Amino acid sequence: MKFVQDLKRDEREIKSLKERSRIIFLFISIMFCIGLFKILQLSILDNTEYLDDSDKNRIIEMPIHPARGLIKLQDGLVVAENIVSKDLFIKTEFLDSAEKELDYLRTNIANDRKLTYSDVKNYKKDEKVLLLGNLSSAELAKFELSKEFMPHISLEISLRRYLPQKNLFSHVIGHLGRLSSEEKTYLPRFEYPLTSFLGKVGLEKVYEKELKGFPGLSLMEVDVYGKKIRELERNLPLTPKDITLSLNLKLQNIARTELANRKGAIIALDPNTGFIKAMVSSPDYNPNTLNGSEIGSSFEDYLREDSPFFNRAISGSYPPASTIKPFVGLLGLEEGVITEDTKIEDKGFFQLKEDGRRYRGWKEDGHGQVNLNKAIVESSDVYFYELSSQLTIDRISKFLSAFGFGKFTEIDLYSEAQSILPTRNWKLGNIGEPWFVGDTINIGIGQGYITSTPMQLLSSISAIATKGKIFKPKIVSKIGSEPLMPELLHEIKIKDQQHWNIIEKSMIKVIQSWNGTAHNLYTEGGVVIAGKTGTAQIKSLTDQDLTVREEYQEVRDNIEDRDHALFASYGPIPNPNIAVVVIVENGESGSAVAAPIAKKMIEAYQKITFIDEQ
Amino acid sequence: MSNRNPLDYSLNKPLIRGFNPINYLFKDLPLFLALLILLSFGLLMLFSASGQSTSMVSRQIIFILVGLVLLLSISHLKPRSYKNILMNSYWLGILLLIYVLINPASGYQTSRWIDLGFFSFQPSEIVRLILPLSIVAYLCRKEMVPKFQDWMITTFGALACSYLVYEQPDLGTSIIVLTSGLIPIFLAGLPLRIIISYFVVLSLTLPVIWTNFLYDYQKERVYTFIDPNADPLGTGWNIAQSQTAIGSGGLYGKGFLQGSQSQLDFIPESHSDFIFSVIGEELGLLGILFLFALYAFILWRVFRIGFYAETNFERLACCSLGFIFLLFILINVLMVIGIIPVVGVPLPLVSQGGTSIVVHLLAFGVILSTKKTQL
Repeated sequence: MKFVQDLKRDEREIKSLKERSRIIFLFISIMFCIGLFKILQLSILDNTEYLDDSDKNRIIEMPIHPARGLIKLQDGLVVAENIVSKDLFIKTEFLDSAEKELDYLRTNIANDRKLTYSDVKNYKKDEKVLLLGNLSSAELAKFELSKEFMPHISLEISLRRYLPQKNLFSHVIGHLGRLSSEEKTYLPRFEYPLTSFLGKVGLEKVYEKELKGFPGLSLMEVDVYGKKIRELERNLPLTPKDITLSLNLKLQNIARTELANRKGAIIALDPNTGFIKAMVSSPDYNPNTLNGSEIGSSFEDYLREDSPFFNRAISGSYPPASTIKPFVGLLGLEEGVITEDTKIEDKGFFQLKEDGRRYRGWKEDGHGQVNLNKAIVESSDVYFYELSSQLTIDRISKFLSAFGFGKFTEIDLYSEAQSILPTRNWKLGNIGEPWFVGDTINIGIGQGYITSTPMQLLSSISAIATKGKIFKPKIVSKIGSEPLMPELLHEIKIKDQQHWNIIEKSMIKVIQSWNGTAHNLYTEGGVVIAGKTGTAQIKSLTDQDLTVREEYQEVRDNIEDRDHALFASYGPIPNPNIAVVVIVENGESGSAVAAPIAKKMIEAYQKITFIDEQ
Repeated sequence: MSNRNPLDYSLNKPLIRGFNPINYLFKDLPLFLALLILLSFGLLMLFSASGQSTSMVSRQIIFILVGLVLLLSISHLKPRSYKNILMNSYWLGILLLIYVLINPASGYQTSRWIDLGFFSFQPSEIVRLILPLSIVAYLCRKEMVPKFQDWMITTFGALACSYLVYEQPDLGTSIIVLTSGLIPIFLAGLPLRIIISYFVVLSLTLPVIWTNFLYDYQKERVYTFIDPNADPLGTGWNIAQSQTAIGSGGLYGKGFLQGSQSQLDFIPESHSDFIFSVIGEELGLLGILFLFALYAFILWRVFRIGFYAETNFERLACCSLGFIFLLFILINVLMVIGIIPVVGVPLPLVSQGGTSIVVHLLAFGVILSTKKTQL
């Protein structure tokens, strides 16, 4: 039973409790309202932004990279394919702490192979470093068995470019490489992730876009640890196109075998279409080791060798030497400076009236009475000194330009060098001197300022074979299933069609006549070939007291100063289907060194086309 | 309520006339049912937040059952019968806090846990409820108005507990412990002049505490709370993820078990301290409002019991517990949405955690025991 005073005290206490409760409650209510406003802001006002954020959290976009397009020959033979490569990687962040694992890898799996990681410095974070590429099945088995000793080293499987013929197509197809730091900045990251490859030279570079295709996209749901939960959506990649080459495997093989690692280049094309049938430059390299599909020399190793990456067939510049004579002769006929029967006396030298300087021919005693035919067949220098001095440089360069001298051939490869066709202006601009008649005389035998790339010389020679038609040279005959058509670049119009025959006859005689410079090629009843030898001087022989032969004997001592051997040819006559240019650097003799290779090529090609027709 | 005098018993009609066994057993049926709904709701959300782990849910159910048995047992005791035990339980709390400092469970960075083998718990979670009850019991130990030294003793009692928690070190919880000690002191009628002097002392010592007593990581927490976007993968990352979860839930939510933030583990500690963001993501603003309504109903029943309880001790105990319950809800929600720094406070009766569940149900047992039978 409560007393009144107790009740009064209770009343007082309850009043105080309620008052104080209200104070606390007011304080908490304010805080609660702030919270409620924040919740409203999050879930109502900013709802869409947070939905975006949560999607960004859970959805990652993974590109699906299609396998690179194949490169084939016309008979379907694959010359560049993709093979599965098994590589061991380590994340850069573990590189320092995992020394034990690396030791284990070194001693138990790599054996005598060197780990590749020490070659690279300045690793970036979150990148992977290749430790051991292209595991053999034995190495793979060893790794699988002892995986637990190397928890930070991961096995990854990827596709690598592989050329079954290795070196044979090195300069045509080229190789792939990792992205350079510059390429990393401008290539879209989606198409080219940091560890991806792209075509660096050759057709791999020219047709990078076609061969690469376009990656598809897979939307994956991941959890906070990056574990893939499920695929939400998938856009299939744009399948890349296969590329078909016009090259012929047998011709390639012959060309490479015949060059036998000497420096030089061999190219062959069909003059009626412009499709390249063979292109070999020597020395070459094995693109597979750069593609990471084979173990061997690295890029740095190759750089220490003697220019294996240099494609002499399109980038090498040489004096065309005597191979220019048919063109100059044709111009002489066209301009009426000479006729077929015009004769001069070749006493072994030509003397300019102005300065009395003697220009010596290669044959000390001269060729005697020489007409155009004999001048081409025996390659008389004096005849062409005389002819070119009368033609003048202006007419020569205009005419040679029509044949493609001094121009790009527009072949479907990068790094084609421009050949030089000098004019008066060219000399003034590039040498800083006015033109002298002596310069013209040198041009007449393809020496002096004029240079040609083997590709350009081939394109020009094919114009004689086709009586004036120059087709754009092409290595690729098909992209995907779409065939590429021959493209007529230029047609040379001459006044008298008969002049073609005069020149061609002389070029046939180069081989057929007993006195022809390439008579060593002649076989009774064999394929009829038209050709012209050339021996390009590197050192000019100007000592007036010594004979040419004596002077050259001194030059010969240094192998690199020896003359280049050239042979430009086509066949068979009357319906030529192949033109071949062979250049062997420091090969000395066009007839003995270069010409037999060209003959082999032309003959082999006849067998090939014969079989094809059967 | 205002026009009804609480002392006018004739107006306080019993809710159910006559003897009703159910009403007798559960003391306050609406409150009990609301608690059951809240616990079931919590279990559902825990199922979702734990990555649909039945083992975690069944463990939680066991703790709930233990807690409910304790709740019903205590609710039938007379408060005055355990008043002394409550007063002396303060020393148990102090002992536990000292023990955990000397002999912390291995495997944790801080000494907050006691490992009993089958189950480990944080003494601070128990102290959060022991402290206010023991303070109330001390202040109401005699039928008299507390004197100056009573206020001082209770204040220092609260400060001692708070300091021991701070030493673990756990700044957030030490502040919460201090607050849960100060609430009953304030409710019991702490004189205004003492309150003012407390504020003066606090404002003078605060700079000293900041420079001498706070660890770098604690200061960092305060900094990231000020600018959570400064280090999205550091301490602020948790908050950013939890805000993303609530924000992406919108009005209706992504659906039960459909929240990507929670199901794919983007929300840290989603089953314990951050379960509120799972509710926000999967059930949306409506789910949050439902939860708040449930809490509001429970609190209404608690204060209804508290204000009409018979003795001052019962009234103070009940209201203190009610406010502490409300305070925990508030702190947890504000922390999850990023208004206050992250402190280790679970969402009461929803978050996973055996100690938290049992202790909170015990508190509701105390609350129910203070209910006047006629009410």
